[in-house]
Amino acid sequence: MSELLLEVKDLKIHFFTDEGVVKAVEGIDLKIERGKTVCLVGESGCGKSVTSLSFLQIIHAPGKIVSGEMVYYRQTPDGTTWEIDLAKLNPKGRKIREIRGAEISMIFQEPMTSLSPLYTVGNQIIEAIRLHSKATKDEARKQAIEMLHRVGIPNPDRLIDEYPFTLSGGMRQRVMIAMALSCNPTMLIADEPTTALDVTTQAEILDLIQELQQQYGMAVLFITHDLGIVAEVADDVAVMYLGKIVERGSVDDIFNAPKHPYTQALLHSIPKVAMKREDLEPIQGMVPSPFRRPNGCSFHPRCSKAMDICSQIVPAVTAIDDDHTVQCLLYEDVASRAEVERAQS
Amino acid sequence: MWKYIARRSFYMIFTVWVISIITFVVIQLPPGDYVSKIMNQMLQAGGSSATPHLEEALRAQYGLDQPMYVQYLKWLGNVLQGNFGHSFTYLKDAKEIIWQRLPMSFVLAFGSLILVIVLSLPLGIYSAVNKYSIGDYFITFMAFVGLAVPSFLLALICLYLSYKYGGQALIGLFSPQYVDAPWTWAKFLDLLRHLWIPVIIVGLGSSVGGVGGTAIQLRVMRANLMDELRKPYVDTARAKGMPEGRLLWKYPVRHAMVPFFSNIGWALPSLISGEVLVAIVLNLPTSGPILLQALMDQDMYVAAGFILVYSILTVVGVFISDLLLAWIDPRIRLGRM
Amino acid sequence: MTQKQPQHTRDPREETKSLEIEVASQWKLMWWKFRKHKLAMASAVIIIIAYAIAIFAEFVAPVASSTYSKDYVNAPPQWPHFFQPDKPILYVNALKFETDPNSFKKTWTIDEETEIPLGFFVKGDPYKLWGLIPSDIHLIGTQDPQAPFYMMGSDALGRDVFSRIVYGSRVSLTVCLVGTTLSLFLGMILGGLAGFMGGWVDNVIQRLSEILTTIPTLPLWLALAAVVPLDWSPLRVYFMITLILALIQWVWLARVVRGKLMALREEDFITAAILDGVGQGRLIGRHMIPSMLSHIIASFTLNIPGMILAETALSFLGVGLRPPVVSWGVMLQETQRVGAIANYPWMMFPGLAVFIMVVTLNFLGDGLRDAADPYQ
Repeated sequence: MSELLLEVKDLKIHFFTDEGVVKAVEGIDLKIERGKTVCLVGESGCGKSVTSLSFLQIIHAPGKIVSGEMVYYRQTPDGTTWEIDLAKLNPKGRKIREIRGAEISMIFQEPMTSLSPLYTVGNQIIEAIRLHSKATKDEARKQAIEMLHRVGIPNPDRLIDEYPFTLSGGMRQRVMIAMALSCNPTMLIADEPTTALDVTTQAEILDLIQELQQQYGMAVLFITHDLGIVAEVADDVAVMYLGKIVERGSVDDIFNAPKHPYTQALLHSIPKVAMKREDLEPIQGMVPSPFRRPNGCSFHPRCSKAMDICSQIVPAVTAIDDDHTVQCLLYEDVASRAEVERAQS
Repeated sequence: MWKYIARRSFYMIFTVWVISIITFVVIQLPPGDYVSKIMNQMLQAGGSSATPHLEEALRAQYGLDQPMYVQYLKWLGNVLQGNFGHSFTYLKDAKEIIWQRLPMSFVLAFGSLILVIVLSLPLGIYSAVNKYSIGDYFITFMAFVGLAVPSFLLALICLYLSYKYGGQALIGLFSPQYVDAPWTWAKFLDLLRHLWIPVIIVGLGSSVGGVGGTAIQLRVMRANLMDELRKPYVDTARAKGMPEGRLLWKYPVRHAMVPFFSNIGWALPSLISGEVLVAIVLNLPTSGPILLQALMDQDMYVAAGFILVYSILTVVGVFISDLLLAWIDPRIRLGRM
Repeated sequence: MTQKQPQHTRDPREETKSLEIEVASQWKLMWWKFRKHKLAMASAVIIIIAYAIAIFAEFVAPVASSTYSKDYVNAPPQWPHFFQPDKPILYVNALKFETDPNSFKKTWTIDEETEIPLGFFVKGDPYKLWGLIPSDIHLIGTQDPQAPFYMMGSDALGRDVFSRIVYGSRVSLTVCLVGTTLSLFLGMILGGLAGFMGGWVDNVIQRLSEILTTIPTLPLWLALAAVVPLDWSPLRVYFMITLILALIQWVWLARVVRGKLMALREEDFITAAILDGVGQGRLIGRHMIPSMLSHIIASFTLNIPGMILAETALSFLGVGLRPPVVSWGVMLQETQRVGAIANYPWMMFPGLAVFIMVVTLNFLGDGLRDAADPYQ
């Protein structure tokens, strides 16, 4: 059966700027199982990239993990499982460095700027290999060529000595993937890996990631704003809005029985073949400024089903069924919660 | 790579040629010439031999009666053969004066350049990595002070301090017993003992015009590195599990060196300016005082020679920094930029 | 994912609240950002005071710049004291004569025993403010017009160094403005041409500026300044020197303008304007200049200190401004007299004025530059 790899509980990441505190991630729960693909979906600025970077403890100042846990179930060769709370690790310490790249690795949105133009492709891959193994330079080079071959790069033994800026965008992303997988990680975080690429290359890279996922049996956390990609790759989906996961469920649940009005609106806003232009419904309004998070449910100013109470009460996580949850007052027994709260106070 | 070097070399020669024209024209600009100056002096001294006839004869002797472009071409031809013309005031070859004074100027300017690099690189890196820390604020504050103290003022202050607290001997480049002595190891050590003061003054003080001085280069390095620290490739390297220290040196620092080195070549002209100024204040036996005197006296070949050689030094310096740049940055080496 | 403009708003209050931040004009954003830069704010105040002093020099200075005294030659600074018990509220100690028994050299020292009371708005040397308004009221001075008062000492002719610094600010603080304005003018034209036309025009201007930066600035300035005939009137020399400074300084401003224009050409809103068929004049006037203006103001400010230093250095060397013009650089010439530095270090006070102005202008320029990018 499925086995838990990473469990995020009530994670909060705040940015302490001069203008005020930006609550980029405001209490999210997420589960990632071994070998599965989870998609984190949302509009730009909803906090999905920050979330993914926080798994590796890479958060830029003035950002900070304020509270929450990120339990990583690490499997040792003898079959026992260790629990490590990634949120507690020192970002500059040795422990998180052992996990970065070796067990959880990452590919980024911009293949143009994610590789340093000053070093050859080989140099940057070999470095990743040698950071986590005792391989000699020659062995690491052989492994690197092998990896480049696996990600479908022609003439890898020649290309390994090229500089990244001589390669096309798609090739660079392949190099990034080769680098990320060079230490055989248990989880790959892909932060919008295809956004900067053209459509045909996008499809190739997606296929490549899925193919390699099957070969290596790793879990993939896929961050995207493109629902088309979600439908293609996801096992589970988490929909994020303003630092919160508003709905979580299997890909079937999300596409066939979306509950949250935001998820529904997102689905309505993708054009489909044989659809009239008028049927396309853009979501009203814009993502509010991070300094002015609306009261109550943060989606209510843009929500077509908003009720008066939505501006007053923050919805709690409500279970629709075993693995489908939603944060929306439409599905919550508000009256009973009010009663509970009254009883408590 | 060779194409890059060839192109830079061509620019280098072209630049020197244009500078030779500018120099010559500027030197010719003052009304009157050296001969009219002598005539004036003779008249003032009541000399009766100051006849128009003599004036013309002198002009012809010095070649000052020919049109300007002829004078320029003759001068350029001579310079190419290493002959810088005649000094009217010292009555010897300008070449002799230039070679006598220039090496010290060069040592001073080059020493300051080293000081600038040695100080601004690590301090700039420290400031950028620990931005908004007490150390950063202190360095930034000192940089602004350095920016505001012109090197000649710093020289004056040093002069005052040396009078006040003894140490007269530290002014000048040699102790008295070595001034005219032939070069020995002891003389060299004596030079080093004196050299550090003007080197620090020129390196730390704000130069006049241009981008020299530790303060500016430090700010440049800090700004560059702060930009680089935000770049995605830094996150990529971090996500590989690289230790912070190694990561810093291998990626962002090396990236930030690219603009730093392309800038440092241009620090040379202002360091030479600073050297000239400081040498005048401290009366050092370098080119500064002689150049000023030559300009005032319209001793044109000496002045032009100095300016031309300074410029050639700068051009060569910039060329070297271009080569360094190509060595650091493969994009330049492979002709992608 | 592109966002459509809201067609209608659910909660109008919410919208107006967030509008304050989102719709604040660029200048307002810059002001907000600049205000946080404490050092720049403080520097701005000091700079305003300095220029006020320059404007009202005749009033601020205790005596006229040419007033001299045969008696009080090379007098040391008399620091003002205030609120001491049993003494006048504000006073300086008098000076006394001392003769070195060996060299018979006469020197002035501070006489701790006697006080000279000072006052504000006292009568002193008559002057005409800006050559128009006759007056003899001075901001600060001695109650007794005959008493010596040399806050920063006196020079070899017995002139008050402080008063001369005040008068000198008028020249030193305007030369740099005129010079920077001239180089801004040149820099805008040449940098603008390079950035806007691109191609060979850009190439030629780039090479020219590169060549100019290759020649060590000071020797070139010296050579150019040596051209100025000795018999020119002070005003002509003044403008010639600013022109000489500007002839080389324009390079830095031209680079800023060019770089900014090059970046702007890539911007979407410029492309949009071109596609809309906006004429060249309007494109430059309405779109490009406004978005460059803040950067230009910042670079302008950052170039002023360089000009101050340049003027000071040239005048100090004796090839810039010349007496009877009073500027900080001209005053610093005094330090080159043999023994001046050793015996009369107060001759370096004009250097302090240079230092203060350059520091504050740099802080101000730095603050302006940071504020020029309010979106960062």
